[in-house]
Formats: sequence, structure tokens, C-alpha cells
Amino acid sequence: MMSGRIHNNIRTLRFHRGEMTQQQLAERIGVTRQTVMAIEAGKYSPSLEVAFKMARAFGVPLEEVFRYEESV
Amino acid sequence: MSLSYREKSIWGSLAVTTGVFGYYFATVLGLAHTFPGGDLARLISAVFVLVVIQVGTQIVIALDSEPDIQRPDERDQLIASKAYRNAYFALASGAFLLIMYAIVFQMRPFMTVNLMLFFMVLSEIVKSLSQLFYYERGV
Repeated sequence: MMSGRIHNNIRTLRFHRGEMTQQQLAERIGVTRQTVMAIEAGKYSPSLEVAFKMARAFGVPLEEVFRYEESV
Repeated sequence: MSLSYREKSIWGSLAVTTGVFGYYFATVLGLAHTFPGGDLARLISAVFVLVVIQVGTQIVIALDSEPDIQRPDERDQLIASKAYRNAYFALASGAFLLIMYAIVFQMRPFMTVNLMLFFMVLSEIVKSLSQLFYYERGV
């Protein structure tokens, strides 16, 4: 059975966007700071809506924020 | 790592519920001092004390966490949903066991009521522990 894992570049993208804080990103996409922390740490996979909002907040395509890797 | 407001609130609620009803069930089993007034008065007193201490505890936690208080988001809602599911299984299992015991052992109403109350409290504890687990380990 194929399973996968979602990786993200949020921390790097925040750094390159004027060292945006987790709180600032959270306010822009409408979630709590703890949720941004959990997403960065791979402890929570956001909904499509939040994922797209995050990509829009960074001004990059969704694939530059999240990538999905399958493992067999 | 410091706890979020929501985690502090859950820990507070868990501690109060466990403390108040732990003492209540100890009095039911005769392991602790009981108050005059009979079974009904004891139960009503426990509920009253629970409400008062819960409200006070949540006020203190809210005042201490004021800058951190935010509306629940999708992750909070997902965690709550999974926790309620776990609590439902605990409550349903308890209710099933209670029905079997009541039928097999012809339990007195006093014991039936208190066993049902025990499983309700247990399901609430399961909900709180589930939420804390999902906040810590991820969901």
C-alpha cells in the first residue's frame, strides 16, 4: 500500500519574506499561531483552503510551499 | 514548550473534573468523608462545586493567557471532533456495560445512577486526554 508524507518550506519562505513571524503568517491566513507551528513541524496537514491562502501570502505557487512524497 | 491557552484550559478542566468527581466517587464508595443530606444532596453538591471551581479556574486561565486567546480554527475543530469521537466510544462502551451489569446483577438504582455518572465523567476525561494528545503529537 502506497503512503505519503507532506513536506513544507514554510520556515524558509517566512525567512525570505522579511523574516515574517509565525504570528504574522497566522493572521494573514486566518489560523492560530499554534496551527502554523504545527504545520511547519509536520504535525498537521492544513485544508486546501489554508494551503492556498498560505501560498498566496508568500506569493508563490502551492508546489513551492508544500510537496508530497510517496513511499512504498 | 509553553502551553497554548486552549491546552491550559483543557488541563484546568481535566484537573477540576478529576478532583471533584474523584472525591465524589470516593464518598460513594465510603473511602472519604461524606456530607449529611443523603445521596441526592451529595450529587447536587458535587455538581455545584464542579461548576463554581470550573468557572473560577477558566477565568484565571483566561486572564493569564489573554494575549494568546484566539477563535478556534480548523485544527482546533478537527482535534475537538476526534476527541468527541473517542469520548463517544468510551460513553457507549460504558452504557453497554452498565446495561449488562444492571440486567445480570439486578443493581439498585443508586448504583446504576452512579455507574452511569462514572462513565459520563470517564468519557469527559477521555475527551480531554485525547485533545491534549492530539495537540502534542499532531493530528
